[in-house]
Amino acid sequence: MNLLNYVPGNSFLHRLNPITKLAAAFLYGLACILCGSILMELGFIVLMIAVCAVAGLGKRALRLTRNLLILGLFMFVLQLFFVRTGEALVQIGEFVLITTGGLASALLLSLRVVATMLPLMLLFAITPMNDLCNALVKKAHLPYRYAFILTTAFRFVPLFSTEFHEIQDAQKARGVDFETKNLFRKIGLVAPLCVPLLVSSLEKVNSSAISAEMRGFHLRTRQSGYKEYPFTGRDVLIFVILISLVVFSALFL
Amino acid sequence: MIRFEHVSFGYPNGETTIEDLSFHIQKGDFVALIGANGAGKSTISRLCNGLLRPLSGRVYLDGQDTLITPTSQLAKKAGFLFQNPDRQICENTVEAEIAFSMKVQGWPADKIRERVAAALETFDLQGDWFPFNRSRGERQRIALAGVLACEPELLILDEPTTGLDYLECIRIMDHIKMLNLEKKITVLMVSHDMELVQDYAGRVLVLSGGKLLGDGPVKEIMKNEPLLRQARVLPAQIPSLALAFGDRFADVFTIREMYEAICREKGRGICRAGREKE
Amino acid sequence: MIVADHVTFQYAESSEPALRDISLSIDDGDFVGITGTSGAGKSTLAMALNGIVPHEWKGDFYGSVKIDGMDTVEHQTEDFCRKIGEVFQDIDSQMVASVVEDEILFGLENFGVPHGEIKIRLEKVLEDLGIPDLRKREISSLSGGQKQKVAIAAILALEPRILVLDEPTGELDPESSREIFGLLRKLNEEKGITIVIIEQKIKLLCEYVKRLIVLDKGALAFDGVPGEIISHIETFKTLGINVPPVAELSYLLRQSGVYDGGITLTVQEAEKMVREVLHDPV
Repeated sequence: MNLLNYVPGNSFLHRLNPITKLAAAFLYGLACILCGSILMELGFIVLMIAVCAVAGLGKRALRLTRNLLILGLFMFVLQLFFVRTGEALVQIGEFVLITTGGLASALLLSLRVVATMLPLMLLFAITPMNDLCNALVKKAHLPYRYAFILTTAFRFVPLFSTEFHEIQDAQKARGVDFETKNLFRKIGLVAPLCVPLLVSSLEKVNSSAISAEMRGFHLRTRQSGYKEYPFTGRDVLIFVILISLVVFSALFL
Repeated sequence: MIRFEHVSFGYPNGETTIEDLSFHIQKGDFVALIGANGAGKSTISRLCNGLLRPLSGRVYLDGQDTLITPTSQLAKKAGFLFQNPDRQICENTVEAEIAFSMKVQGWPADKIRERVAAALETFDLQGDWFPFNRSRGERQRIALAGVLACEPELLILDEPTTGLDYLECIRIMDHIKMLNLEKKITVLMVSHDMELVQDYAGRVLVLSGGKLLGDGPVKEIMKNEPLLRQARVLPAQIPSLALAFGDRFADVFTIREMYEAICREKGRGICRAGREKE
Repeated sequence: MIVADHVTFQYAESSEPALRDISLSIDDGDFVGITGTSGAGKSTLAMALNGIVPHEWKGDFYGSVKIDGMDTVEHQTEDFCRKIGEVFQDIDSQMVASVVEDEILFGLENFGVPHGEIKIRLEKVLEDLGIPDLRKREISSLSGGQKQKVAIAAILALEPRILVLDEPTGELDPESSREIFGLLRKLNEEKGITIVIIEQKIKLLCEYVKRLIVLDKGALAFDGVPGEIISHIETFKTLGINVPPVAELSYLLRQSGVYDGGITLTVQEAEKMVREVLHDPV
């Protein structure tokens, strides 16, 4: 359902240190940004899906890729019309001019967006938010408050989405026509829902804060964390591979 | 009024599934839907007005197939009172809130004004109140006033009395019962409270795991302890007490009836004891 | 032990006091139910007993609440939140983690419990609540009753002497509600934990609690053993609180003179009463 949910598992990806996972996702993204070849961008995407498939996350990776491709397509169309280098391919009237340069850069940019975002999105599938934050606090010395805000924000997304659906149902039951095909009308209908959503959200955030406070939130120190997140040889290996990948991408692709 | 024909339904995450469910609710019935959490009560109530639609089979609301009729159209027939009024209330005054449903259903302005005034009177509400800081009972009353103002033919109640105290509960339920008797409004009520079911419903549908375990007059179901146990439903106290005495209190359901039956028995008991002495 | 002395509290944005002149004391090992109509001040009282009012909610606070002699106004919440834990009404929003184990770890880590002991407490509390199998589960995948047990476990792991619960069974069906009450009774009897529970379900309160406090418009209406105070049936009804049907039955039978025992609170007790009245062999 939710493409950013944690997928429980025990694959080699799951077992990495949360910091390694985070760094690896960024390094992989960096390599994709530095890469200048359409073919290699495609290669990066396929490689990512393949690695995920080995770790039992193939389905998630494919669905994410499909969704990211929609974003990619949007970028592709924009780029196609704005970049006008190289030879003209198609010309319609005065405004529409598609060139070889435009086509190439549009393809590269849209694939790059997909390739860069994919590992970052997949990070959430293999890392529980709590582990990521605890590890950031312990190893990267991120203040716990920020880590907590981050986990809480993530935890609240599904709560709010459930609440939103229930509110929408309540309004539908009164005869509000959410099934209309008219997009503008639909947006107009959603606006009044913000009131009950806001009311319940404020309540939820408040009770969440008091509950955390009553359980000693403000007493916490960096040493408090119970779980340890040691780096292992596997983590070092991943770092070496990904840094090489970035260097290789920067120099040769 | 409502007809389920071989209805199957399942949520994408596998929670609560309903399989091949068929039943029929007549106009003017007061039906209670009982069962443990996850038995499918809320799912069925939402299938009735098109909030959910069957995966297979058909649900007819007053002859309209919910599969092909928009929810906004079905809403004109079926009013829905949710457990939590806060999900419904979205206007800044009680007046506007009660008018809201009528407005979206396209009622004429003068009719709306008339009905709002009547609703404020019936439910003892003030038109200029800010609904969000009223008590839970008042908010539930505001929500109900809004639903009933549209004169629905079917009223669906999803645990309508949760969070309400006894007086508020009686007040809301008595009004609904009155509408049921006088205006022949059909009522479908989801509830965990067997005392409430016994006091107000005429017919009970017992659900477990998305299947219909039992369907019958309230008096029959209340005394069918094995059925209730199977559905993980806690029976009402007095019928359960009466059952402990076998057939002796077969027609006892309320406190009053139990009290009178005991006094009757007691009278006979005294007689018997007296005769033995002789 | 908690002692409230003439407590009056009015929320900052409200025009009327939420609590009016409340004096009571809750002894160690007690199992107290607080009930009343909506808006009677139940939640506010619970929050006043553990210092959330007036620390987290602003308003005018008169009188005093002392937890083991510590005045809640003079001390910060952190001083007494080790002694007293609260399980809040909204199950979902009080959770801080996505996995059961992390939820229970949160408080333990915060309070700086030595890491060697954390493991022991974590396993013990899961065992005590009968949920060791839920340890690695995602909280979002649990049923309402299971979530409630996790919320209780997360507080109990901190080993408070007093546990306050605000309508813990609000979203549960009757069977799961009874299960939670049964669990609380066990904690009270076996571990001596003081339980203060806010609840509207009067049948459950009558069956489980040792002492019942009834609030009416912020003031104390009744405070005593359920079997005794429930006998004021007429007053209860005017306050907007229903009593269990079997209690009303025993009241009627007592009124008519055929029964002279105490008010019955459960079906079992009522059955005994009826047999006694009818001279049936038990």
